[in-house]
Amino acid sequence: MSDREMVRDYLNSLMKFLSRLDKEDADDVLREIECHIYDVMEIRQENGQIIDAGEILRGFGQPRELASQYVDHILEGAPPPMGFRAIQKIKSGTTKGLYWTTAIFGYLFSAVLVAIGLLKTINPDAVGVWPSGNGESVVIGAMSRIPTDTQEILGWWIIPIALGLGLGGAYLTKRILNVLKPKAR
Amino acid sequence: MADNIKDPSKWDVQLRKGTLELVILSLLKGRNLYGLELLGQLQELETTAISEGTLYPLLDRLKRDGSIDAKWHQEGDTRPRKYYNLTKNGQEKLTDLTDRWRKSVEDIEFLLENPGPQKLPKKGK
Repeated sequence: MSDREMVRDYLNSLMKFLSRLDKEDADDVLREIECHIYDVMEIRQENGQIIDAGEILRGFGQPRELASQYVDHILEGAPPPMGFRAIQKIKSGTTKGLYWTTAIFGYLFSAVLVAIGLLKTINPDAVGVWPSGNGESVVIGAMSRIPTDTQEILGWWIIPIALGLGLGGAYLTKRILNVLKPKAR
Repeated sequence: MADNIKDPSKWDVQLRKGTLELVILSLLKGRNLYGLELLGQLQELETTAISEGTLYPLLDRLKRDGSIDAKWHQEGDTRPRKYYNLTKNGQEKLTDLTDRWRKSVEDIEFLLENPGPQKLPKKGK
């Protein structure tokens, strides 16, 4: 393996372990380390020394250990947001399955609510909230058959309520996913 | 302690753990340096020689706590480099740490200069 391939492999591996950082921060870390490595290689070349990428990389340590020094403050430093403490406790055992299930259901639910809010402006009569089963339950949504035996109860209020809940749900899902993001292995 | 006498590097490692922040801040006082320059300067001195894997995460931590700032800068055809400098907070922190360091050295010197068996005299007498 050539020196450049070795450096590329190291940086790719480091990038994977830095995945908990914001992309901009992770790119900044990688760029700085890459510049350092190539600076040292150039200096050695100019001085007629042996360019040993392996030795240079050993100074940085294993990618996982190096990355953990940049990332651990996210897990340990900042206090969790209000109401997120239980999630913080289980996050270390989070699987990819839970992450993606939360993402799909969270965003899908939010998208449906936003769609209901928007559809109300297009087809006002078909979208709404109707009491059902003698008032023991409600039907919410865009109906192909408008219930005739009951009165819609929210009217135009469904637009701000559905949009607010939909956008709020999407924001909450994003925050939860940030906490649940599985650690790179 | 006998182990430390045989292997001074162990003592240096322990000492560095507590003093590395002070070392980095003092190196950046009045200077803008990038990582490789910082590393080179630290490796010039016997007890401050650290590895890349220690330096860069520490710079990141000092930047996050507001003690230092960093800016990418490119000169001519050279590779862009990330230069670090002290912030106002960093300068205040350096002053505080310097005071504590000097106080610590003074106290240890006091202990070294006053061996037993007699009781330790009151300081300043």
